Amino acid sequence: MPTLAGVFVKRMPSAAEIAWLIPVLPLIGAVITGLGLITFNKTINRLRKPVAVLLVTCLGSAAVISYAVLFEQINGSPPLEHLFVWASAGNFILPMGYVIDPLAALMLALVTTIALLVMIYSHGYMAHDKGYVRFFTYLALFSSSMLGLIVSPNLLEVYVFWELVGMCSYLLVGFWYDREGAAHAAQKAFVVNRVGDFGLLLGILGLFWATGSFDFQNIALGLSEAISSGDVPTWAALTLCLLVFMGPMAKSAQFPLHVWLPDAMEGPTPISALIHAATMVAAGVFLVARLEPIYTQFPSVGLVIAVVGTITCFLGASIALNQMDLKKGLAYSTVSQLGYMMLAMGCGAPVAGIFHLVTHAFFKAMLFLGSGSVIHAMEEVVGHEPVLAQDMRLMGGLKKKMPITANTFLIGCIAISGIPPLAGFWSKDEILGQAFNTFPLLWFIGFLTAGMTAFYMFRLYFLTFEGTFRGENKELQKQLLSSAGKVDDDQEHHNPGELHESPWPMTMPLVTLAIPSIVVGLLGTPWDSKFAALLNPQEAIEMSQSFQWGEFLPLALASVAISSSGIALAVMAYFLNRIKLSEVFANRYPAIDEFLKRKWYLDEINEKIFVQGSRKLAKEVLEVDAKVVDGVVNLTGLLTLGSGEGLKYFETGRAQFYALIVFAGVIGLVALFGVLGTPPI
Amino acid sequence: MDANMPILASTSPTAVPWLSVIVLLPITGALLLPFLPEGESEKQSQLPRNLAISILLIDLLIMLFVFGRVFNPSEGGLQLVERANWLPFLGLEWSVGADGISAPLVLLSGLITFLSAAASWKVTQKSRLYFALLLVQASAQALVFLSQDFLLFFLAWELELVPVYLLIAIWGGKRRLYAATKFILYTALASLLILISGLALALSGDNFTLNISELANKNYEGSFGILCYLGFLIGFGVKLPIFPLHTWLPDAHGEANAPVSMLLAGVLLKMGGYALLRFNVQLLPEAHQILAPALIVIGIVNVIYGALNAFAQDNVKRRIACSSVSHMGFVLLGIGAIDALGISGAMLQMISHGLIAAAMFFITGSFYERTNTLSIPNMGGLAKILPITFAFFLTSSLASLALPGMSGFISEITVFLGITSQNDFTSIFRAITIVLAAIGLVLTPVYLLSMCRRVFFGPRIPAVSLTEDMNPRELVIGLSLLVPTLAIGFWPRIAIDLYESSTNLLADKLITNSLVVLNQGLTFG
Repeated sequence: MPTLAGVFVKRMPSAAEIAWLIPVLPLIGAVITGLGLITFNKTINRLRKPVAVLLVTCLGSAAVISYAVLFEQINGSPPLEHLFVWASAGNFILPMGYVIDPLAALMLALVTTIALLVMIYSHGYMAHDKGYVRFFTYLALFSSSMLGLIVSPNLLEVYVFWELVGMCSYLLVGFWYDREGAAHAAQKAFVVNRVGDFGLLLGILGLFWATGSFDFQNIALGLSEAISSGDVPTWAALTLCLLVFMGPMAKSAQFPLHVWLPDAMEGPTPISALIHAATMVAAGVFLVARLEPIYTQFPSVGLVIAVVGTITCFLGASIALNQMDLKKGLAYSTVSQLGYMMLAMGCGAPVAGIFHLVTHAFFKAMLFLGSGSVIHAMEEVVGHEPVLAQDMRLMGGLKKKMPITANTFLIGCIAISGIPPLAGFWSKDEILGQAFNTFPLLWFIGFLTAGMTAFYMFRLYFLTFEGTFRGENKELQKQLLSSAGKVDDDQEHHNPGELHESPWPMTMPLVTLAIPSIVVGLLGTPWDSKFAALLNPQEAIEMSQSFQWGEFLPLALASVAISSSGIALAVMAYFLNRIKLSEVFANRYPAIDEFLKRKWYLDEINEKIFVQGSRKLAKEVLEVDAKVVDGVVNLTGLLTLGSGEGLKYFETGRAQFYALIVFAGVIGLVALFGVLGTPPI
Repeated sequence: MDANMPILASTSPTAVPWLSVIVLLPITGALLLPFLPEGESEKQSQLPRNLAISILLIDLLIMLFVFGRVFNPSEGGLQLVERANWLPFLGLEWSVGADGISAPLVLLSGLITFLSAAASWKVTQKSRLYFALLLVQASAQALVFLSQDFLLFFLAWELELVPVYLLIAIWGGKRRLYAATKFILYTALASLLILISGLALALSGDNFTLNISELANKNYEGSFGILCYLGFLIGFGVKLPIFPLHTWLPDAHGEANAPVSMLLAGVLLKMGGYALLRFNVQLLPEAHQILAPALIVIGIVNVIYGALNAFAQDNVKRRIACSSVSHMGFVLLGIGAIDALGISGAMLQMISHGLIAAAMFFITGSFYERTNTLSIPNMGGLAKILPITFAFFLTSSLASLALPGMSGFISEITVFLGITSQNDFTSIFRAITIVLAAIGLVLTPVYLLSMCRRVFFGPRIPAVSLTEDMNPRELVIGLSLLVPTLAIGFWPRIAIDLYESSTNLLADKLITNSLVVLNQGLTFG
């Protein structure tokens, strides 16, 4: 029946039309298991396999739709937007909905891929954890929120999902709630992000005040109109743009709001890979890309973003130089790389920024999952105390025992260091190229940072995987524990096991992620950027037309050269052990060494001013409340005492006593009427 | 008013006087309770409880039926009006009716009173009196929200003080007498102002009337209107509570048992907000427009001052009580925004806070039964032993800090939008207001999450014997509060549709009235 088939084909919805399912599917899964956890806790906790299968299926289907959407966009489908009224009052309506455009399609595919791999990995990593089902539920909830954020068509909906991913981050950082460190880290992550959201919300409200809209395009148009007509002064518009930028600053860990991200490593490692490296922390960069039509009107905003990005980039790399905790090292590396992305955004090159976001997501997720694999193995030897299991002073020589982890980690190191043809080279080089043309000084700092990046990454690799294994050194373990202020309790009832390679659910995602880490950069070569062609076809044409080997090669060679010297230094210091670099450095520049070890003293400043300051203020306010404000009442408090004493005489019949009062009240009422004159009934 | 006015049974199109049924059912039940046998055996002491819970459940179901089926939410005005002369020599009329402003609050009070009775499962001391008082309370609350006659409203307002006072004074904690007396003195003195202002309005002009709709048709001259407005504001402000009249609240919450705290936070505070809308806004729109900036200032003080106070409190219930002060600040902000968005936000904030605060107090009560302490420094690591309690407490904390997906977010954002889009205020005034109120949004997670951390997170296990996690009854109560919170957060229209026509009507009235030009000088201009 050809006609029927024709009808059927016609009615087949395009992938973009069912794209709303992408965030909804994982949400359904999370709601089912979440309700189960609350109502039939014990039963659900035993159903690990079915829960994992359900949630992997939900997320897998979302991934399939995401890829279908991406291919449609690559083939040139027009963007699609679908809205409905969510709330209203008077003549105000608040629309919600979803939008599918190339940027959203790209991010959907990226997030679903990594979330799916992390979920599979978690099946291995969390196998022995009592909270396995809870962990999977949170993962699904996070995926749903993150996907919702990506498809948000307006700023207010972005804010909704923005906060929700923050909540998931809070829940997952605090996943092991019996650890004091995790509890503090989770709260810090949430509060610091709320500070950023404070700015974001004010900015959103301000832009709504100025333009009457939440929609990105309409805000951009309305703002330029309002400025040219003089309704909104330029300084106000600038302020609003910068306020909105506070949101991305907190979420994407930009200086000085980056302080929560390293602490967030208290969460399980799969989370560090998914949320705190590949997806959520990139949301800030994504939002800035979405705000591009607004920000392009204000070059000074671009400058601020670029400067913040560069400071972050340098700060992260500098602190990463002498970290001893494997995950913290990677965390500061993430801070630094996010700085690169922001630098690109500030240079007015969102395509380059998003390109780095994508390549970084692959290799940094792989690196974190690799570190998780290492920690998983280390826990067999030194126990579950993170102070021991994550410290590189106890590692070394792991390559022999865990070759897959070591090799994929090495690929990640090469990729992030910017050695061609791996992914990081192309994206980082594009950013540096853009910076060179826009802000040469910032380029120079970014360029230096590239060398530092190569150094600290290979330092991590050598300390962890090369040399000899140091994990059985009990003296060193005790020393580390006491310097962290922890009591040696886990050790007594822990039987040291053997180092071993992780099971397949953990190695498979590593190997899978290694492939894009190697090749995905080739999609963004400056002479034929498939990436730019998808995100901004016009820019792609311009890029390939203006491309000149004479311009590209010197910059690229310089980048490769400084990266290579960074690697060479790391080889000398940590592989061949020719120079005792850290000792020499600490002796010669003790102030700088201390400065870096104390992470630029930012945590101390934060603690002194904000944490203790707010506590003190609150204490004082309570004092005022109790003594001054309540004091007024305590004058009546004399009365209170009196009536309290009086009440004792009515101990047996308090009800009657009160009835008397009411009665007296009514009599008083009647008397009042008498005084005021009989009402004209 | 005509002296020969016929005694009307009901003017509503339905034959059944639904609203009277809603109001009178619980108090009739309360009259039955004293005749039950004295609770000596355990079974007998459970009888009053079971009876009270059943009556409140039936009442709630009737409310759901009436406001779901009979009530027409697309109509903004009064509906289901029933009027009957009661005490003609006092001008007192039994006059009840509902509009979109009363409907959701009646439902809220019905739900919370029912759940509060269910949460009082373990009350065995003088259980007949306890549950009789709860039933009287249920009637009085419903009457406050439904009465359309000022005097009737006032009687209901006063009547509701009796059970609360006794519930705190008899079943409260160590300093219960102090807390209860403070509560009663505070609210009783405030009532005096309400009475004076109300009577002044009734007597002003040519015709005396106590009917609220007729009062709304009168015109009140400048300073007279403002004086009455201030009288109402202080009177109702004590209940809301507004700064500096809030100090009874932490004491009352600190001493009351959990079910009574649920009532206090879930329903009583909402009476203040409701009355502000019903009297200050509806009856005195001109004065409201002049004094709205003052309301906003008080609202901001509430938000920040309450939050800071909460942060310094070391007792779980006192901390939540102070958080109520902070959250009710948003109700003031919304009402002060004098536009449809703001009033809608204030309404939603009342509903939302009613659900969330009741949930928090309920869960606190639930783990207090197991830990026997509410002192934050003495707790820690509870999550390990009480994971479900932890899940509930954390969820309601997140709801309370206005997380999207929960009702608190949509209400607070609506208030923010209401102030943003109020063009009668100067831009600078709006900007300052919003910045300061948004500071509250940063402070909320500070005090709520730090409480969660210190009580539930961490390795310490308190030196108290712990039995088991929440039982099915507690689960159902908790879910009955959190599911609506989530539902409204996801799909706010289920709540908004119920009141939108009425708040729009109210806002329209304000807009027509803004011919009386808002004095720019008052708005930091």
